[in-house]
Amino acid sequence: MKIALVGNPNVGKSTVFNALTGSNQQVGNWAGKTVERKTGIIRRDNLDIELVDLPGTYSLTAYTQEEIVTRQYILREKPDVVMAMVDASNIERNLYLVLQILELAPRVVIGLNMMDLAKSSGIILNATELAKALNVSVVEIVAAKGIGIDKFLSEAVRVGLLQKDPLVHQVPYPSELEEKIRAMENLLKDTSWASLYPLRWLALKRLERDPEIGQEWQSVSAPESSKDKKRDSCCDSGDALNYKLKKIIELPGNDLLRSYEEEGWTRDHFEMAFADAKYNYISQILPRFLTQEDLRKPSLTDSLDRWILSPIWGYPIMILVLALVFWASFIASAPLGEAVSQGMALAADFLVNLLQWSHAPTFLMSLVRDGIFAGVGAVLAFVPQIAIFFAFFSFLQDSGYLARAAFLGDRLMQLMGLHGKSFFSLVSSFGCNVPGIMATRTLEDPKDRLITMLLNPLIPCVPRLGVMSAVVAAFFPGTRGAMIMLSLLLISMLLVMISALFMRRVVDQRERSAFVMELPLYHLPTLRNVLWPTWHKTYTFLKRAWTFILAASVVVWLLSSFPQGVPMDSTWAGKMGEWLEFIGKPLGFDWKIMVAIVFGFTAKETTLSTLGILYGVAADASQSIAQAMTGAMSPLKAYTFLVVYMLYIPCLASVVTTYKESGSLRWTAFGIAYNLILSFIIGWIIFHGGQALGFQ
Amino acid sequence: MERSLGELKPGERACVARINGGGALRRRMMDMGIVPGVELEVVRCAPMGGPLQIRLKGYYLAMRRGECAKIVVSGEQRVAIKHTLASR
Repeated sequence: MKIALVGNPNVGKSTVFNALTGSNQQVGNWAGKTVERKTGIIRRDNLDIELVDLPGTYSLTAYTQEEIVTRQYILREKPDVVMAMVDASNIERNLYLVLQILELAPRVVIGLNMMDLAKSSGIILNATELAKALNVSVVEIVAAKGIGIDKFLSEAVRVGLLQKDPLVHQVPYPSELEEKIRAMENLLKDTSWASLYPLRWLALKRLERDPEIGQEWQSVSAPESSKDKKRDSCCDSGDALNYKLKKIIELPGNDLLRSYEEEGWTRDHFEMAFADAKYNYISQILPRFLTQEDLRKPSLTDSLDRWILSPIWGYPIMILVLALVFWASFIASAPLGEAVSQGMALAADFLVNLLQWSHAPTFLMSLVRDGIFAGVGAVLAFVPQIAIFFAFFSFLQDSGYLARAAFLGDRLMQLMGLHGKSFFSLVSSFGCNVPGIMATRTLEDPKDRLITMLLNPLIPCVPRLGVMSAVVAAFFPGTRGAMIMLSLLLISMLLVMISALFMRRVVDQRERSAFVMELPLYHLPTLRNVLWPTWHKTYTFLKRAWTFILAASVVVWLLSSFPQGVPMDSTWAGKMGEWLEFIGKPLGFDWKIMVAIVFGFTAKETTLSTLGILYGVAADASQSIAQAMTGAMSPLKAYTFLVVYMLYIPCLASVVTTYKESGSLRWTAFGIAYNLILSFIIGWIIFHGGQALGFQ
Repeated sequence: MERSLGELKPGERACVARINGGGALRRRMMDMGIVPGVELEVVRCAPMGGPLQIRLKGYYLAMRRGECAKIVVSGEQRVAIKHTLASR
C-alpha cells in the first residue's frame, strides 16, 4: 500500500513521518529536482506500507517545485491514501490545500495537529463536526508528543482498504462557473485523459490553462513515438516524429477557452474564481466546527515577536543569536575537531607501523600518512563543526526563528535583488560554505537558489578567516591589523553585492521572486526533529564528498612528493608553480604563493602549512609560518595575496556541494571560473592601484 | 475608501478588495489566503522600507512593500462583501 503524507509547511509533517518510520527511512531527491524525497517502509497487520513524505506546500498548482512534485506524485503514482496534515491554529488556509487534494484523490484522512496552539489563541475545533462537514475521517494528533499518530496511520490504512472510494463533498462553485466546468467536462470526458485523472479536476485545470496539463497531454497521447524512440535509439528520428505529433495535437477545449476569454474569463480570472469559491466554501462550513473565543491575553508568538521583530531590538537579538550559533559551532567545537585530527593521526601511525612491519615500500607509507590521512583528516576535522551547525540550523528552522531572520534581513537582500531567505544562507557561509550552500534549499525559486549558491564562495569561511588573520597579524601588527581585516571583509561584501546583480543577468532572473512568506508560530522543536536532519545532512555531505576529498588528497600528495627525494621546488608541484608563475607575476606573486594557492583547493586551511614547507619553516604554528612570510613579501603583496586568497576558489567540499545541489556541471564550472577570474582581477587592481598610490 | 495595503499603518485593519496584476505572485497570494473579502491587519513594518508583517486568518505573513502595493483594500472593517464574480 502506498500512502502519501501531504500538508502545508510547518504543520509537523516530518515529526509524524519520523515517528512512523523511525530509522527505517530513505532520503534522496526527486528526479531532476532539488526537493528532498523521503520514503519509509512500515509493516503493519501483514501489510507493507510505503509512506512518502511529500514536500510541504500551500497549494497544488504548478508554480513551485514543491507543488509540482506533490501533485505529480499524487497524479502519477496514485497513492492508495493521502494523509493530510492540518494545522488547527491555521485551519482556513490548511483546508484550502485539503480541498485541492480532495479534488484529486478522494481517499484522504485528515490529521488535525497543533490543537494546543489553536486553543492558546482562542480557537476551539470540533473534529467530529469537521469530519462530517467534509465527509472525511479526521484524527486528532499531538505530533510533538506522539499522541494519535498510530491512530492516524491505522485510520489511513482502513480508508485505503475500502472497497469503494468514499463520497466526498464537492466544493460548490457559483452557478456561472459550474456551467463552464460542466461544458469543459463534456469536451474532455471522451479523451484518454479522463481515464487518467478525475474529470472535474481535469476540467478545472484546463480552464486555468495549467501549463503542466499541456505537457502531460503530449506524453499521454504520443506513446507510439516514445516506443519508436526506444526501438531505434541509435538514430534521432524519434524526435522528428514527436515534433510532428505535437503539432497535430490540439488540446480539446481551445475554442471554448477562446470564447470564454472573449467574455472576459481569462486564465487569471478563472484561477481567482476557483480559489475564491474554495475559500468561500471554507468560511461557509467553518462555523460548524470552529468556535472562536476572544482572548485578551496576547499569544506567545505575539509577545515574542514584539521583541524579535522589533525595529530597534530585532537586529541586536539577531546578531546575538547568530553569534551564539557561530561561537558554539565553530569556536567551542574546536576540541572535537582536534580530537578527530588526533584520531586520524593515530590511525595513520598504526597503519604505517603495520606497513613497516610488512616491509612495504616507503612511498606507500608516505601515501598513507602524508597523502590520504593528512588530506582527508584536514577535511574531516571540520565535520563536527558542520554537524553542530546543522543542528542549530534545524533548530532555528523548526522553531520559526529562521523565517524571522529572513524578515529582518530582507531589506539588505532586496538591495541585491535577492530573496530574504538568501540572507541566512549567506550568513551561514561565514562559518562554512558547505552548510551555506545547503541552506539555499529553503529558497523556492530555482534561479534564486542558483544565484545564492554561486555567491556563497565569495564569503570567507572560518578556516579562511583563520589563515587571513594569522597573515594579517604578522604583516600588520596592532590596531592596523583590525582595520586591514575589516577592509577585507568590506571588499568581500561589496563583491557579493555586485556579483549578485551580475549573476541575476547571467542566470537571466528577470522577475523579482515574490516575498510572501509565512511567519510560523513559535514552538519548541522535538529533539528528534533536530537530530535526525542533522545526522542526515552530515552523512549526505560525507557521502558526497569523501571520494573527491580522497582523490584530491592523493593527487596533492603525488604532485608534491614526486620525483622522490628532491627539494620541494623540483617536485611536480614546484614545476607547476613555476609554470603558473606567469599568472601570479602581474600580482607580484612568486611560484611559492602559486603552489600554495593551487593546493588550497582541497582545504583552504592547508594553505599556511604548504607555505610553511615552501619557506622551510618546520614549526606547525601558523603564527611562525606567517612570520616567515614577512621576510619574503612586502605588505602590499601580502594584502594582494589576502584578497586573492579570500576570493579565489571555493574549496573542494563546497565545489562538490554546489555540484550536487545545483545538479549542473556547467554552473559549477561557471562558479569556479567566475571566482578565479574575479579574484585575480581584483588582486591586480589592488596591487597596481596600491603601487600607483605609493604603498609598498 | 480604497487604499493599497502598503498605505496602512501598523495596527490598522482592512478588507481585501482586489489584487492587481497577475501570474505567479497573485496565485501565491491566493494560496496564502489573500482573496477578496479577507480581513488583513498590518502588525508591524521592518525598518528602512523592509517587509511588513501581516496577520490574516489567524496566522502571520511577511510581505514586501512592492507586493503590498498590489493589494487594494477597502477601509471598512468587517463588512460582508457580496461576491460577484464578474466584478473582477
